[in-house]
Amino acid sequence: MVAQVEAAETELLDALRAGQEAAFEALVREYHASIVRVARIYVSNRATAEEVAQETWLAVLNGLDRFEGRSSLRTWIFRILTNIARTRAQRDARSVPFSAVGDPSGEPVVDPDRFAPAGERWAGHWKSYPDRWDTLPEARLIGDETMERIQAAIDRLPPTQRQVITLRDVDGWSSEEVCSAMEISETNQRVLLHRARSKVRQALEAYLGQD
Amino acid sequence: MLISEDLTCQELVELVTEYLEGGLSSTDRDRFEQHIVLCDGCAVYLEQMRTTISLTGSLTEEAIPAETQAGLLGLFRDWKQG
Amino acid sequence: MRGYKCLRPGRVGPFSGHTWPVGGWVEGRDPALCVRGVHACRIEDLPYWLTEELWEVELDGELRGEGRKLVAERGRLLSRIEDWTHETAISYGEGCAARARERVEAATGDTAARLSELAADVAGVAARGEPALAGYIAARTAEVQAGVDGYAEERAAQAHWLASELGLVRA
Repeated sequence: MVAQVEAAETELLDALRAGQEAAFEALVREYHASIVRVARIYVSNRATAEEVAQETWLAVLNGLDRFEGRSSLRTWIFRILTNIARTRAQRDARSVPFSAVGDPSGEPVVDPDRFAPAGERWAGHWKSYPDRWDTLPEARLIGDETMERIQAAIDRLPPTQRQVITLRDVDGWSSEEVCSAMEISETNQRVLLHRARSKVRQALEAYLGQD
Repeated sequence: MLISEDLTCQELVELVTEYLEGGLSSTDRDRFEQHIVLCDGCAVYLEQMRTTISLTGSLTEEAIPAETQAGLLGLFRDWKQG
Repeated sequence: MRGYKCLRPGRVGPFSGHTWPVGGWVEGRDPALCVRGVHACRIEDLPYWLTEELWEVELDGELRGEGRKLVAERGRLLSRIEDWTHETAISYGEGCAARARERVEAATGDTAARLSELAADVAGVAARGEPALAGYIAARTAEVQAGVDGYAEERAAQAHWLASELGLVRA
């Protein structure tokens, strides 16, 4: 399976280097929307995100000769993107400072108030159980507004958490690929994913809990 | 298995991602799953997390506008000539 | 190799949420990854995992014991243990409660008071038809009364009850 992917990638790279437009168009169809979405995490508006995406494509084309295939093509593309996006964000000096801080790593993912306090008989256990979602009408669970709430929750995340959950859960990347593209450790990636998913779950719970 | 080694619900919710990623040791996986069997609250929480991940995965991408595609093709042609 | 599997109603895995097919082999891939392998348990592990449905399973391929479960490359459901019903689960819990009460009688002073409270918990949970929790609190009661050995003894008694009442056969 890996060999097949590698063979397909080699073929695509050769076609690109040979200047075949169809190859470039295929690559754009595959990744452009995702590139813009990730760029949007770092820069303040969509227009700037599109600029970052353009810069990324140019850097990819200019770097084709240097690409050795040690990582997959897409992790390489997204590594370039991440660097360009971060540089651009710093250059534009966004008025709302973003950083991985603002979410101290020690913060619990569920409000401690939902558990019985220390000293009680069932200390650390749920005071009352969370609600089951499988009894909700399906239309509510997978409706447009639910999806909007999820996207809104993701948009509120600190940038690195947002990028991890976008690549892993929205785009279905493996953890190895995400670590490679973002140049972070597996441990770091997992912590970021944990915090991101927990916040989205929390937002979903708040929304679905309304009548 | 001693009581002091048992997981509380509060501890379990911090381990959910690790569990789903397959990162827990076999001992901790056992403890995690034994707690799930005993505790409906945590069983629901785990299911909520699975549903969250699944729904997140169905967020759709917008299609690329035709003018963006045209613009990028132009970029490619310029690059070829450069 | 034969084993047992505890599933939620409708043959649903309690951790994976996946529905098991009847009869067909399910591939678990790498047994080193818990979330990937097929899980089952031996009779002595059953008290830890009891759910609504109990199934006999056949396991194949590389097999490992891991904590309180068996992990195999592949497995398939053979037959449902029909005698494991809601009523049986209540009886099981009542058995746990009875043993817990014996431990209360064997104890004195503060320990007896604490054990009494726990034994009442076992009885309450048992009546609600929650066998795994009843067994857990019963084992905890035994541990308070007689330490680690007490715990092991209670768990063994639970497994023995299941094996004899349900006619389970080893391996």
